[in-house]
Amino acid sequence: MRGSLFRKNLVTTLLLAPAALWLVIFLVLPFIAIAIFSVGERAPEGGYQAALTFAQYANLPARATAFWNTMVLAPIGALACLLVAYPVAYYLALRAPDRWRLILLAMIVIPFWTSLLMRTYAWMYILGGRGIPALLAYVGIEDLRLINTPGAVLLGIVYGYLPLMILPIYVSLERLDRRLLEASADLGATPLSTFLGVTLRLSLPGVMTGFSLVMILLLGEYLIPTLLGGGKVFFIGNALVDLFLQSRNWPFGSAIAITLVLVSVVVLIIANRISTRLSGARRVDLI
Amino acid sequence: MPKSYRDGLPITPDKFVDQLMRLKRGSISRRDFLGLTGLGVATAVMARELGIMPTPAFAAENLGDRMSIATWPNYHDPQTFENFKAETGVAVEVNVFGSNEEMLAKLQAGGSGWSLFVPTNYTISTYKKLGIIEALNMAKLPNFDGKSEDSRFTAEGTIDGTIYAVPKNWGTTGFAVNTKKLTKPMSSWKEFWDTAMAEGDGRTMVHDYQLTTIGNALKYYGYSFNSLKQDELAKAEELLLKVKPHLFAVSSDYQPGMRAGDAWMTMCWTNDGAQLHRDIPEIAYVLGKEGGEIWTDFYAIPKDAPNKPAGYALLNYLMNPKVAVKEHLANGAPSTDARVNALLPKEVLDNPILYPAADLLKPLEFGAAATLTDPGRAELMARFKSA
Amino acid sequence: MTAVPDIEFRAVTKRYGAVTAVSGIDLAIPPSAFVALLGPSGCGKTTCLRMIGGFEQPSEGQVLIRGRDMAGTPPYRRPVNMVFQQYALFPHLDVEENISYGLRQARPRLSSRQISQRAGEALSMVQLAGYGRRKIHELSGGQQQRVALARALVNKPAVLLLDEPLAALDKKLRTDMQIELQNLQREIGITFVLVTHDQEEALSMSDFVCVMNGGRVVQLGQPSEIYDEPANLFVADFVGKTNLLSGKVAGLSGGLVDVALADGTVIAARKRVPLSRGEAVSVSLRPESLSLSAPGGGSLKGIVRNRIFLGSTAEYAIEVQGIGSLLAKADHVIGQGNLFKPGEPVAIGFAAGAPLAFPHTKNNGTNQREDQNAEIVS
Repeated sequence: MRGSLFRKNLVTTLLLAPAALWLVIFLVLPFIAIAIFSVGERAPEGGYQAALTFAQYANLPARATAFWNTMVLAPIGALACLLVAYPVAYYLALRAPDRWRLILLAMIVIPFWTSLLMRTYAWMYILGGRGIPALLAYVGIEDLRLINTPGAVLLGIVYGYLPLMILPIYVSLERLDRRLLEASADLGATPLSTFLGVTLRLSLPGVMTGFSLVMILLLGEYLIPTLLGGGKVFFIGNALVDLFLQSRNWPFGSAIAITLVLVSVVVLIIANRISTRLSGARRVDLI
Repeated sequence: MPKSYRDGLPITPDKFVDQLMRLKRGSISRRDFLGLTGLGVATAVMARELGIMPTPAFAAENLGDRMSIATWPNYHDPQTFENFKAETGVAVEVNVFGSNEEMLAKLQAGGSGWSLFVPTNYTISTYKKLGIIEALNMAKLPNFDGKSEDSRFTAEGTIDGTIYAVPKNWGTTGFAVNTKKLTKPMSSWKEFWDTAMAEGDGRTMVHDYQLTTIGNALKYYGYSFNSLKQDELAKAEELLLKVKPHLFAVSSDYQPGMRAGDAWMTMCWTNDGAQLHRDIPEIAYVLGKEGGEIWTDFYAIPKDAPNKPAGYALLNYLMNPKVAVKEHLANGAPSTDARVNALLPKEVLDNPILYPAADLLKPLEFGAAATLTDPGRAELMARFKSA
Repeated sequence: MTAVPDIEFRAVTKRYGAVTAVSGIDLAIPPSAFVALLGPSGCGKTTCLRMIGGFEQPSEGQVLIRGRDMAGTPPYRRPVNMVFQQYALFPHLDVEENISYGLRQARPRLSSRQISQRAGEALSMVQLAGYGRRKIHELSGGQQQRVALARALVNKPAVLLLDEPLAALDKKLRTDMQIELQNLQREIGITFVLVTHDQEEALSMSDFVCVMNGGRVVQLGQPSEIYDEPANLFVADFVGKTNLLSGKVAGLSGGLVDVALADGTVIAARKRVPLSRGEAVSVSLRPESLSLSAPGGGSLKGIVRNRIFLGSTAEYAIEVQGIGSLLAKADHVIGQGNLFKPGEPVAIGFAAGAPLAFPHTKNNGTNQREDQNAEIVS
C-alpha cells in the first residue's frame, strides 16, 4: 500500500518535473532576481548595485503618469476589443453555417501566427501617408493624418488582441445550450431580452476571460503605442524598456516590474470574482 | 545607417514584403524602434555557411570559423563581410542595435558574445571606466594609420595615451525639413522648435534619445548641448513639455514618416539627411547655427570577446582604405581617414550635408560622457515622454 | 365538439431540404384535453410540437392556436409554454428566478409583488415551496422537472407543451410524475400536448393519443381505442406488446376472416379493412388475450421456453411448431400454483374476436418489418 502510494507520487513528480523546472528557471528565478534588484541601487554607470532600500518603491510616483496612462488605456483597449470581438464570436458560434465555421475561425487565428511586430508595422504603412491618406487624397481629402493618433493606437490594440478576445467568448457561446434560448423565447422574452438575460449572461465567463487576458497583456504593452502612436504616449511598458535599455536603472525598473505584476494579479483576482458571481458557475477557467 | 532607396517609393505588395523582410533582418535605421522596443537583441546571421573556404592569409593565428559584431543597422556594405569570409574563412554574425545605451546595457549584463562593436565617441570613456573594453594591441592593426586620421575625430578613442577604439566615421546631428510643406527658410534650433509649435504643428519629430532631444532643446536657449546644470535642464524641460502636444512623434525611426509625407520636419543624423535629400530633393538637411552634436563612431573590442583574433583580423581588414571606401559609399557617412577621402568621388566630398561648411561645424559639440549615465537627464526624458 | 379547438393543424407540411418531416397533417385538439403525440423517433411528433411553440414554421398549411393563425407569430408572442426535454432551466438563475422569468417578460409589466406571489404559488403547486433560492444544479432530476413545469405554468398558457418531459427520470419517479401531471392537468384545466415515444406513458396519461409515423397521423383516439382497435399493423405493433402471426386469407365469413397460419391452423379474426381471399395478412394477438391450459384443448399447441414471473402476472415465451415463439401473459392468483414450467407442453387458446388481421402490404401505417413469422413485439 505504502509502496504503491510512493510509486504513484514518484510518477506524478516525474510527470510534473519538466513543467516545474521550466517554471522555476524561467519564471520563479527571474522573479526572485527582479525582486532582489528592486531593493537595490543604481550603480553610477548604470545597472545594479547591492543594497537594501525601498527608495525605488518610494520613487514610483515618478512614473505616475505612465501608470495612469496604462490604467486608463488597458481597460479602454480591452473594452474596445470586446465590442468588436463579441459580435464576431456571436456570429461564429450561433449564426455561421457549420461548414464555414472552421474556415472563419482559422481566418481569425492564422494572422496570429505572424509576430505582432510585423502586423503592427503593416498598420504603420496602411495608416501612414502613402496608405489610406493617399487614397483619400484622390477624392480630394488632403493631408489627413491617421498615424500617430490615439485612434491609430486603439485600432492597433483592437486588431492585435482581437483573437485573444474572440476565442474565449466563442468557446463560451459555443457551449451555450441552444434550448435555453428557445426556452427564453417560449417564456415571452423578445430576442433582445433573451440576448441580455441569457446569451450575454452565460457568456460572461468567456467575456471575463478574454477581457482579463487582453487587459493584462495591455498592462505591459509598449509596441503598439510606440509604433502607431509615435511614442508620444508613455505606458508603463515603455517606462520599463527605457529604464532597462536606455537609462539602465535596473533597480527602479525592477520595482516597477514588481508593481506591475502585483497590479496584474489584482486585476486577475477581480476579474475572477466578477465572472464567478455573474455566471453563477462554481469555477471559472481563466485560460 | 542609410535606409534602402525603396523606402522612398510608393508602397507595392512586393516592396512591402521586402520591407518586412528587411525589418525581420533587423536592418532598419539606427536608433530606430528596434532600440526603443528593446528588440535590438534581434540578430541576423549574414554569412551562414561555415568553414568552406580555407584561411591561407591568416594562417599564423587560429581565427576560428565565426565571430559576431555589434553595430548599427545598414551601417556596412554586406559585401565587406562576404569578402572577409572569403579571405579568412571566418563567418561574421551581425547584431544590430538601436542605441549606445542598449549596447552598454548588453555589455554590462555580460556574455554578449561580440568580438567587435561600434560605440559612439562619448561612450568610450565609460566603457573603459567599467573595464569592459580592451586596450587595442596596435601591432595587430597594421592597416591603421594614426597620422592619416583627423585628430578631431580620433581623440576620444585614446585615453591616457592608450588607444581603446579607432574611428569608423563621423557625422552631425541636425534636422531635415520638407521645404515644400514648410517653405520658410530655417537655419537654427530656435526656428526648429518654434516652427514645431506653429506651421509644423503635428508634423514634427524629435528623437527618442535623451542626448539629442534634450541637447537640441538646450540649444534653443544657447546653452551647451551637454549641459547638466539644473536650471538649464529645467528650461529645456519647459520647452520640451510645451512642444510635446504639437509633435507628430517621439521616435528615432523618422525616415518612413518623412518619406510618406506624414512628417514634415525631424531631428536627423547626417547619413539619413543625405539619404532623404538624395531620394526626395525637397527634403533639406539643416545644421542649427547655435550648434548641436558632432559625433564619431568607433570600433572597439570587448574584454570578454570570445574570438579576439578574429575581432582584430576584421578590424584590421576594415582599416584597409580600399575596404573602408566601400563602407563609406554604402552608408554615406563622412570618413575620418585622409587615405579614404583620397579615394572617395568628388561629388561625395562636395556634398554639404556630409561635409558642412567650417563655420557650421565650429559650434558643434561632441556628446559628453556624463550625459550617458546622468540620471537627471534620463528622468527628464521620461517626464517628457510621459507628459 | 363544437368549441374552437385549442390547437388546429390544417394541411401542415414541414420540409427540411429534401427531407419531409411532417406531411400534410390535419389535426384538431379540443380544449382542456390531455393529448399525447406518440410515435417512434423521426415520426414528426417533435416537429409538430415545435411548430405549435413557434420554433419551426410550416412549409405549407396553417397552425392555429385557439382559432388564430400563428403564421409569422414568433414564440414569444404565442399563448403557449413548453416544458423542454431535459428542462432547459437557466443555470445562472435560482429556482424562483427561473419560475418568474416569464412573468418578468409580461407586458404590461407586473409588479414585483405580483411576480413573487405568483412564483410562490407556482412553487407550492409543484410542491417545491421553500426551494426558491436553490441553485438549479443543487436539485434532483425530479425537482428540476417540477421547476420546469412551474416555470411554464406560471404564465397561465392556453396550452402547455411537453417535449418528452419524463425521459430523463428513473422509472419510479416517472410513474409518480405521470400521476402528478394528470392531476395538474385536471386541476388547471388547460390543454396539455405531450410528445413521447413511450407508448405506456402516452396510454396511461392522456385523454387522446395521436399516433404518428413517417410524418403522418396514423390514428387518433382514446387510449383504449388505440390499444384495442389499432387502425393498422403499425399501431398494433407500436402500441403495447403484441404477437404478429403471418398467414393467408382462407375464407371470408361475415365481418370475420379466416386466416390460415403458417402451420395450417385456421383462425377467425376481425379485420379493419376489406381483405380478399388469398391475401397475405398479419394477425395481431395481444399476449393477455392468450389463455394457457394443459395439453388437450385450445387452438394452438406449444412448449414453454421461458417464464418470467412478475408477481401479479407471469409472462411465457412459448414455442409453437411452424409458427414461432409467442408471448403470453397470464394472471397469477395467489394459492393457485398453476404456473407452467419451461419445457412443459401447453395448449393455447384465445377469446373469439381477439385476433385482428391486417393486410401485410406496406402502407403509411405499416412498420418496416418484413418478418414472415410470428414474433413477440414489445
